[in-house]
Amino acid sequence: MMMTVNISCEQDVIKNPKATIEINKDKLNINESLQIVFTGEADQVVIFTGDDMHNYDLRKESNTGFVVDKNVFTYSYATPGTYKVVCIASTYGDAAVNLQFDTCAVVITVIDDQTEIDRLSCPQILYDEVFAERLANDNWIMRLPRKVRYNNLTPSIALSQRLKFYVQSDSTQFFINGNAFESTKKYDLSSTVNIDVKSHFGTVRPYTLHTLYYPEFESFKMLGVNGKLKRTEFDYSSFELEITLPNGTDVSHVIPEFKTYAATDKIYINDVEQISTVTAVDFTHNVTYKIVSFLAGNSDIQAIGTVKIKIIYQ
Amino acid sequence: MIGLLVSLGGCDDFLTKEVLGNSTDENFFDTKYKLQAALNASYDVLQMDLFNECEWRFGEACADDVWGGDEGLGSQMGQLVHFRFNTSNEWIRNRYDINYKGIHRANQVIANVNRVKLSIYDYNSYREIREILGQAKFLRALYYFNLVKTYGGVPIRQETETVDNLVIPRSTAEEVYAYIEKDLREAAIMLPARYVGNDAGKADEGAAVALLMKVLMYQAIPGEKSEKWEEIVRLGEFFVDGTPLTFGEILKFDNTVETWEALRKRLWFQPQEEIQPSDPYETDNTLLNPLHNAYSIEYKDYYGNSISYVEQFFQIGEFCKGSVFEVVFKESADGSGGDENEGTPIYTNHYSTSPQIWSTDAIIQEIFSSDARRSFMIGHQQYAPDGEIAQTGPGRHFSLKWYTPIKDRPQYGGDNGKNRRLIRYAEVILMYAEALNECGKGDLALIKLNFLKSQANKIDNSSNLYVGGGYGYMRDQIWKERRIELCYEWDRFFDLVRQGRAAEVIKIYGAKRANKRGYYFRKGINELFPIPQSEIDISNGIVVQNPGY
Repeated sequence: MMMTVNISCEQDVIKNPKATIEINKDKLNINESLQIVFTGEADQVVIFTGDDMHNYDLRKESNTGFVVDKNVFTYSYATPGTYKVVCIASTYGDAAVNLQFDTCAVVITVIDDQTEIDRLSCPQILYDEVFAERLANDNWIMRLPRKVRYNNLTPSIALSQRLKFYVQSDSTQFFINGNAFESTKKYDLSSTVNIDVKSHFGTVRPYTLHTLYYPEFESFKMLGVNGKLKRTEFDYSSFELEITLPNGTDVSHVIPEFKTYAATDKIYINDVEQISTVTAVDFTHNVTYKIVSFLAGNSDIQAIGTVKIKIIYQ
Repeated sequence: MIGLLVSLGGCDDFLTKEVLGNSTDENFFDTKYKLQAALNASYDVLQMDLFNECEWRFGEACADDVWGGDEGLGSQMGQLVHFRFNTSNEWIRNRYDINYKGIHRANQVIANVNRVKLSIYDYNSYREIREILGQAKFLRALYYFNLVKTYGGVPIRQETETVDNLVIPRSTAEEVYAYIEKDLREAAIMLPARYVGNDAGKADEGAAVALLMKVLMYQAIPGEKSEKWEEIVRLGEFFVDGTPLTFGEILKFDNTVETWEALRKRLWFQPQEEIQPSDPYETDNTLLNPLHNAYSIEYKDYYGNSISYVEQFFQIGEFCKGSVFEVVFKESADGSGGDENEGTPIYTNHYSTSPQIWSTDAIIQEIFSSDARRSFMIGHQQYAPDGEIAQTGPGRHFSLKWYTPIKDRPQYGGDNGKNRRLIRYAEVILMYAEALNECGKGDLALIKLNFLKSQANKIDNSSNLYVGGGYGYMRDQIWKERRIELCYEWDRFFDLVRQGRAAEVIKIYGAKRANKRGYYFRKGINELFPIPQSEIDISNGIVVQNPGY
């Protein structure tokens, strides 16, 4: 019996590639997800997103695309602009020969409308970065020390300081009192600073920055003796005031004389207001003054300092 | 034909007989030895090459302390460190998979612990099971922590997987952190202070408390007062200063959620009815085993003998006084490559003539300036402490933390058994210092910071210390010391992210590089990596992608 064996070489049939895609939207904000679904026919799909280093027109200059897995590709853009998204669908035979490809493109517009300030600081209070506090209605309050203690020195801190803005977008612009912001320029913080934040898209959002010094005693005297204010390196709002008195001095009913830097400051002990040369205090117990500074015209914006009295007998 | 049919019919009973002597799903976990075997499988993931590869590729290579040999945009690794990857990146997939593998194995222990049958119902029998369970909880927490800091909220897998719950949605990051915290709080009361002898290397109370501090720190935001910072201070007081801490405090025990006796039973404390007069009975007021004498910032080996700074990272320094948790590798001495339990690729990737990543003069200057720890970086044709000349390649510098001294070298090249330090006591001190500063106790933070710096000063008899200053200044000094002390231990990227300055630092770094690697980091997006695309695809929309991807 004779058997005929037919051996045939299977023809390497290559499909024609077809590049078609669907996108979820063609106008996006920065960092918003773009979803591309490949709906065509291909052995391999590559997407050039059109932004830096992924520009299809510059593919011979080392720009590259992303290989698409399972027909779904997601991406987002960090920089606003108009981008040409190019999809390349390719098919090939065994051993990657007979490469065929098809392309399609869509144009994506990305806008940046970021005007939100995340954080705001004075970055160089000597060696420290001091952050402002966010208040309601785009108001911010910066509280600064009048002096700082550093390495046994107590340099004064001026109200002319650099500012630093933390925002999500690199394209956002800032204007201080109508002029373009400069990161190395010192700004006068002694009065309210008007800040305009302008997004790349063009939206302008106004903010205001108020500044107060942490309040402290400019002078403090009791029983004719001047106190000496001591500050800590670590906390700009807490002070200790040392007064040296003769042994045996009766401090149970003393009317101190004191002055703060702002005439509008309020001084309290346990929420009871203290008036210089008027209010008597029993210093046989631990006494801590609370000093409250207010923003002129807005008593809700405050800075608070505490001063602990330390009496040394000798 | 008829005869054949008859003989086939006679085999029926044999085929239906139960196979004896083999472990099945039903009986696999019925002894502590089998449960221990399951726990070993969870530890095994820590030793896997892929686990460690993903640790340094994300924790180190994505940050600003190294250059790499694979930074072209044509490769998956290059795309990763450029932050120009897509959601199908293989390393993003690998890190996700390997940590879930660890979770799955830890879950096997946790879900099946109640199948264990004790032969003796005494205190020690319960303790032994409790310690296995506690270690599994620690490991599960560690793997979930890796996931949440990389991807944000991830699916919390059910302890017992069934075909009905294979696809589950992501939990929020807050929920995942709460899950991790619960495991660590419970592990802390279940485990001994520090394992010693043959048990050295197992996760213990010290490891659980240290990791809990870190998990809390990753949830706290610098500059914002929070309970997280306050609790780190409380844990630091316990760990470092020796202030007592009760079981109830670390658990945040609430008897309206679960009774104490129910908790005891769940965590394998001996049930009250079985307790003998000589047995301890732990209550919510029981004190945690103190840790402050178990660890030290002094450079001392396991036995208390003095060693040098860098020897802490060599075999002589395994389980030294400054080491809280290590990935334990073992030399198999069979010459085979790619084995489990061997750390060879770690060391060849970081210290060889063809490393994956290395540092440069400029980076070293930026990190160390004049700090004595700079001397533990080694450059081309410089000499290692044991006299071996380094062939790093011109311009390249390595950390000696990854150097294997000649005397520690395995007989065969592929068998390196040197442990990887994963949590160190120095970091406990630094977390404590940072939390103190965040809680307005900068003066105490300075003491802790200089406590550590003073020890480092002994390397070259330096007297340079950190100086007191305001909140931001103290914070910057603590972060500076973190970078110096913990450099090249694969944590820099995640540290920058949780500090809220990854974009700022990495973009500046990228701008200096010819290939701009890191310059494309997108603030608000790249702090988290995407969930692997395949997870999104197979979930049919149930698993939702991170914003911006």
